[in-house]
Amino acid sequence: MASRSTKKRGIKSFVNIQTIIGSAVVFLLVWLIATMAMGTEQKAIFLPGVSSEGHAGFEASCASCHDGFKKVSNETCNRCHEAELAQDIHGEKKFRDIRWAEKLESLDALTCTACHGEHVQMYGRGVHLQPDLCIACHQGIIEGDMTSHEGFTADGCWTAGCHNYHDHRAISTGFLYDNLDQAPMLPVQTVPEILVETKLETAPSPDLKGEFLGGGS
Amino acid sequence: MKKLLAIALSIGLSLSLSLPLALGLCFTGGLSAQADSITEAELSEITAQWKPSAHALADVNCSSCHQANETKAFVEKPNYESCQNCHEAETDTFLLGKHGIRLLEGQSPLTPSKARLPMKPEAHGKQMNCNACHNVHSVDTYQASVDSCLTCHNDEHSLNYKNSKHSQLFLAEGNLERPSSSSVTCSTCHLQRESLDSGDNVLVNHNNTYNLKPRDRMASEVCMNCHGMEYSFNSIFDNELVNSNFSEPPKIHLKSFDMIRVLQKKREG
Repeated sequence: MASRSTKKRGIKSFVNIQTIIGSAVVFLLVWLIATMAMGTEQKAIFLPGVSSEGHAGFEASCASCHDGFKKVSNETCNRCHEAELAQDIHGEKKFRDIRWAEKLESLDALTCTACHGEHVQMYGRGVHLQPDLCIACHQGIIEGDMTSHEGFTADGCWTAGCHNYHDHRAISTGFLYDNLDQAPMLPVQTVPEILVETKLETAPSPDLKGEFLGGGS
Repeated sequence: MKKLLAIALSIGLSLSLSLPLALGLCFTGGLSAQADSITEAELSEITAQWKPSAHALADVNCSSCHQANETKAFVEKPNYESCQNCHEAETDTFLLGKHGIRLLEGQSPLTPSKARLPMKPEAHGKQMNCNACHNVHSVDTYQASVDSCLTCHNDEHSLNYKNSKHSQLFLAEGNLERPSSSSVTCSTCHLQRESLDSGDNVLVNHNNTYNLKPRDRMASEVCMNCHGMEYSFNSIFDNELVNSNFSEPPKIHLKSFDMIRVLQKKREG
């Protein structure tokens, strides 16, 4: 009898709630620290969702975009995307203009992450854009201000492939006018030729040899 | 005492879950650091490739890449930083695209096994560096412009290139040192040539992701070097035609062009 009750108490005390919680906390902490201390690849387990196509290749390198738990800054994005934003029609210059400055109240257009959220459902363009993004400011265009666009859907601006938020050069009225009715094949092709100028007529003598074979030169 | 036992157990369990990952990483790291040895015959072959190359004729010798500038120490396997010394813009743009971004971020090189697009199974372990596409000794960009891409890429668009009119132009010009401006290779569209300054200085933009999305960038900056606007846009926005690698003239007709014609009539009439 006595031994049975001791055994019961033993199991009970081992599985008491404090021990379970304590062990679980220690387990999580040690696992977290051990994983963080390891190579970058292992950090992929902390990803909160699917990464965009362009970022998937280095998604385990958290520090590429994140500085601790601070908000991701425009500077971080510009580290790689400067070329794509070189002709940004919706850039700072636009919103410094008093005519457009108040539009920033409808949409925080100067912060990359206001429209480009990473780790969330991606749409066809490799980034997560709110489908009705343009309508925050341009609702009038589909509601009578522009006859040709009347009745278009709110997300059609970019899902139809016509408009590029950051670069209007290839969709502006001027561009379309200038290039309308061109032949399928242009009369003059303009792929630049690469010319390589060399300074010697014949190759010099190779200046290393032994090193490649494992010995000295 | 039992609490201590439980805590010890949880530490053990958590470490045992994470350690194999760490060990795996160390093991693969160790392997990649192993030295390759080459034979005298292989060295002769490499020297023969180098002799008629643009590198040799520009006085770029073995030591230019295989010897450290300051310490003069032998460098067995030069990395992208060596190429960057002379090909700065090409390397910088390479590091910004999908092919090179892992290197820029201090990670192991990209391998096709990590790709979301279909890749050839035999190429899955290939490491993405400058010399993954370029034979750095022969400096043959003819090979780098198509064959290198098809070593790994195995999707419909890539595989259909060889049946395309673009490919016929490329094959017709024979084996040159580098593709001329009148043929169309994978790199004509995906690593576009850009004239810098007054035009003589041409950069090959090695950011392979730069003009993929949105597609109007490819249409206006690449297709329209040769094709008219409507032909370019109607082609690039037709997924089937993209998959077939532009096997025929476009069949779709984007409404934007009709809209601009209506506007044109209105303004002129």
